[in-house]
Amino acid sequence: MAKEIVILGVGMHKFGRFDEPYVSIGQEAARNALVDAGMNWKDIQAAYTSRMYLPATSGARILKGLGATGIPIADVEAACASGGVALRQAVLAIQSGAYDTVLVLGVEKMPRGFMDPLMLYEKWQVLMGMSTNPSYWAMTARRHMEEYGTTESQIAKVAYKNHKHSVHNPYAMYQKAFTMEEILGSNLICDPIRLLEICAPNEGAAALVVCSKEKAKQYTARPVVIAACTHTIALYSSDFRVPASSMSARISNAGPTQLAGEKAYEAAGVGPGDLDLLEVQDTDAFCELQIYEELGLCKLGESGRLIDEEATQLGGRLPVNVSGGLISKGEPIGASHVGQLVELVWQLRGQAGKRQVDGAKIALGHVIGAGGNCAVTILKQ
Amino acid sequence: MATENAGAKAQMLPVREDLFTRPLSPLSEVRLAGTECDTCGEVSLGKVASCPNCIGQAVHEIKLSRRGRVWTYTIIRHRPPGDYKGPEPFVPFGVGLVELPEGIRVLSPIDSPVDQIKIGMAVDLDVYKLFTDEKGDDVIAFRFRRQE
Repeated sequence: MAKEIVILGVGMHKFGRFDEPYVSIGQEAARNALVDAGMNWKDIQAAYTSRMYLPATSGARILKGLGATGIPIADVEAACASGGVALRQAVLAIQSGAYDTVLVLGVEKMPRGFMDPLMLYEKWQVLMGMSTNPSYWAMTARRHMEEYGTTESQIAKVAYKNHKHSVHNPYAMYQKAFTMEEILGSNLICDPIRLLEICAPNEGAAALVVCSKEKAKQYTARPVVIAACTHTIALYSSDFRVPASSMSARISNAGPTQLAGEKAYEAAGVGPGDLDLLEVQDTDAFCELQIYEELGLCKLGESGRLIDEEATQLGGRLPVNVSGGLISKGEPIGASHVGQLVELVWQLRGQAGKRQVDGAKIALGHVIGAGGNCAVTILKQ
Repeated sequence: MATENAGAKAQMLPVREDLFTRPLSPLSEVRLAGTECDTCGEVSLGKVASCPNCIGQAVHEIKLSRRGRVWTYTIIRHRPPGDYKGPEPFVPFGVGLVELPEGIRVLSPIDSPVDQIKIGMAVDLDVYKLFTDEKGDDVIAFRFRRQE
């Protein structure tokens, strides 16, 4: 059996938009994680940095400021799943015996508004006008409405819930509740998806000190265990997402969320019924509904009912995105998953203040993005 | 091409090299090009060297049908980011997945009044000049148009 790996320390830099350079944004999260772990920078044997829109070797530029200790520092990128890939590299490296203690840093600084389309699309798609990211989510939402009767109101309820949760999260970019009328009255971006139902790219950082359970014993009696950390890319014709230019009409494979989720459940030895809370990729409000189905929180086509029953709000039977989700926090791509895991560690330790899910023992973090890159991490107290 | 002067006859250039049947003239005869797998029968848009479904190397080129139906769609309400070549000033337009009889759904702009776009709506291929580039050549693209 593989060695148990734990998260010993966590740290954040608020998500938002700042004048501050990415180097100090990243350093703040890293320093906070080291303090939380009770460690010094010289205790760290390797680091993986996840980022998408920063210059070459950003991780080294950030972390050398803590001390040029000569350790290996590598940047990884897998679109919205970048943070999951960085953590997975840390887990594999510790399991291999190469290190005991690794830092995972997710960091991003992004331009306002739409992302540069040539990062994700081919030029012909841009020229023809098929480079609006939310259009891909919107088309998936429209088809779901057609097949299962999901309504615009049910989609809006996800945004309502997450904005409401954000009020208690000082690390979120927007800490503001909106009424259903305000959400359904906000501008359409790509029908049926509206302005208050999508997340904005922004800036921020989050960091984890990851080590073997054996090593953690020197520091704490109750570390948070990484029960699973999986990463998948979409199978053929399984997921309609940026920058797809066609899909098969004959073949429909399991989506990346289902695939990464099933692998994670198997590795952790748990099922969706064992979870106490989740942080998932609410790039748009509909996306969260689709994830309920693909992670097995409900049956296919029944996610609208789950949100109607208020099961996934704080105080419900299975709270989702009590941090406010990416809709409220914003999505600093390299930092988004690591930020989810910081939130979940606080929740599992009972340190989440007014957004605490009582008695949380098992939690799942999920991200999905361009190319069908998906990462799922399951944490246990 | 460097020897051509400004008065030379404009060429027609495909927006993506492998997307269309040839010749590119007349435009009304041009179709979307596809690749069909000899082994599993899956159809891909444009030219592919091996089947993305079964990884088979034996594939052949096909012409995709002109006529299809909207499988899903959205309306782009704001100017897309980057070098979009649609009408100026910007007008909202439809984009959808158009299902063709060959078993493929192709992402395409939908040429129709936006309030009339529906799932299941019948559409026809329209290969057209998207814009004239800086060398004076016509760049050819495609869209699907609502049947009258």
